[in-house]
Amino acid sequence: MKIRKTSLLFFLGPALFVVALFYIIPLFLSVYISFTPMVDWNVNRYLTQFIGLQNYERLFHIVMYDPDMRAVVITTVVFVLVTLVINVFGGLLLALATYFMDEKMSAAYQGLWLLPRMTPIAVYSLLWYYFFHSSGIGILNSILLKLHLIDHPIALGLDPKYLPWGAWFIIIFVNGLVGVSYGMIIFYSAFKSIPKELIIAARVDGASTTRIIRHILLPLTKWHFTFVMVWQMFSLLMTYAQTFLLVEWRVVDSTWGQTWALYVFRTAFTTTKDQGLAAAASTFLSIIGIVLGIIALKALGYEKMILEPKGDI
Amino acid sequence: MMPETTDVETINRRRMNLALGIVVLIASIPILVTYFILMASSFANQMITGSMVGQLTFTLKNWILFFEGKLTVASAAVYSTWDILRYIFNTFIVAFGVMLVTTALATMAGYACSRMKFKGRKFLIQLLILLHAFPGVSLIIAVYALYIFSKGPIPSQWWTLYAFIYVIVARAALEIPMDIWIMKGFFDKVPWEVEWSALIDGASRIKVWKDIILPLVKPGIAAVAIFSFIAGWGALIYVLVFLPPTEKTLATYIAGLLAGGSLEVVHLPVVAAAGTLYLLPTLIFFSFVRRYMLQTSLSGIKG
Repeated sequence: MKIRKTSLLFFLGPALFVVALFYIIPLFLSVYISFTPMVDWNVNRYLTQFIGLQNYERLFHIVMYDPDMRAVVITTVVFVLVTLVINVFGGLLLALATYFMDEKMSAAYQGLWLLPRMTPIAVYSLLWYYFFHSSGIGILNSILLKLHLIDHPIALGLDPKYLPWGAWFIIIFVNGLVGVSYGMIIFYSAFKSIPKELIIAARVDGASTTRIIRHILLPLTKWHFTFVMVWQMFSLLMTYAQTFLLVEWRVVDSTWGQTWALYVFRTAFTTTKDQGLAAAASTFLSIIGIVLGIIALKALGYEKMILEPKGDI
Repeated sequence: MMPETTDVETINRRRMNLALGIVVLIASIPILVTYFILMASSFANQMITGSMVGQLTFTLKNWILFFEGKLTVASAAVYSTWDILRYIFNTFIVAFGVMLVTTALATMAGYACSRMKFKGRKFLIQLLILLHAFPGVSLIIAVYALYIFSKGPIPSQWWTLYAFIYVIVARAALEIPMDIWIMKGFFDKVPWEVEWSALIDGASRIKVWKDIILPLVKPGIAAVAIFSFIAGWGALIYVLVFLPPTEKTLATYIAGLLAGGSLEVVHLPVVAAAGTLYLLPTLIFFSFVRRYMLQTSLSGIKG
């Protein structure tokens, strides 16, 4: 028995240590920081001061009365909902298209669409920096100029004339192009796991491709649909890295291009360096994360899918 | 007229392929165009979109300027060649470190989650899914606070080294939950009989794992290693937050060049050269693991 314990510790110990150090402890510490007046990372000075709910009151106050913070809230809601629809349905369409292609072409296209997900964030943002650049070298501007749709270069994400829509368009487009590949992969592998005989039988009976999609492929992958939906909603609420550089590089307006997650990061690290307030704002993300996560795990029946290691001696 | 090709599925395959191919190609234009313009501009005298096609010439000047540490043709070098090489090296160190830590921990813990009975196993496995989805942004404040705390007792000449170790482990921590899942999926496919016969012969669990099971999950280890290398190579936020400003990686170097959106200080094709160089290893490694993508995501959700 002692040997079993030692080997278990060997296998699991390091991973558990990292999980405890970088997830569990920070989770509680972050909630604690939200009860302190910490600014400028002055840990020694502020970490022992307890100020109760003051940060939450401040946060509530700016959400109610500060138009910039209002913009953050509205941007977050619009960003998450619109990108979610694009990601889930875009992913579904891509999966269907690649499912009905021959294997080689399908592999090539899937690789292409996975590329944004794999690309270093700085390079990916750089692509869109060039694309949306407010001068004539911007790809979008040069296309629009050549088509004579505009007569001088526009700053889509910055010009008050186009706000908030211009900034929203950019962050949704840039994140959507990364996000669709997730749905594509999950749906595609779900379609692939459906027995081929089912499809062939339907074809022999004269079913059209549309009917095969509607009556075989989609009904059999309902679970995956829910999964992708929940998962993408999560990631969209929490994502900020791509948008961070677009804001830093002045591609999009810092007010209308900023979601709640990015607001937390910038408040803690770049703008006001007000970690107490940022931690309070991040607590809401944590709560949403935990609640949605637990609901998803229960609703999707993950527990049933975890097989017992039946042969363990 | 071309002869119509039909298969068992009694449908015109070729026509459907062509139609789907064209539709997806049109949808892919933004990806194709942006990546092409980045890479091609790094070899051109100006950004490709900024000029008439006739004015463009092929040049290696941007690459030379980049390695000389110059930001425009006219300016003096802002960085030394040595700096640029160090940034590339730093990027590699972070990527390699993240790869080592992630692969080692995920391979060990994935085995335990797949093969060993212990209290709270189901809870742990579900926790891993939750952790993978967990908002990194609500952790990073506290992770940074912990960093400042733990840095205190360390002599200041070791701080840079400590920053590298910390950023590697912290960044690896983000990858570990998902990669444990992926490895668990690969271990699940190894038949129990293999393990039993060795265990009954009296070998220890760790020895069986090392000598018999690991060689059977090599594809999984390779996939996890490459995925985590790509993740570490592309890391931006953690590097920006934890490494001292003098220790840049390609990510923070590029991020710094364009900060504030100013066009005047930097010749954009030089940034394109830096971006292209930064993108290349990802492209190469990604082409190796692309086919694992489906396999891993499947085992990832199906357990």
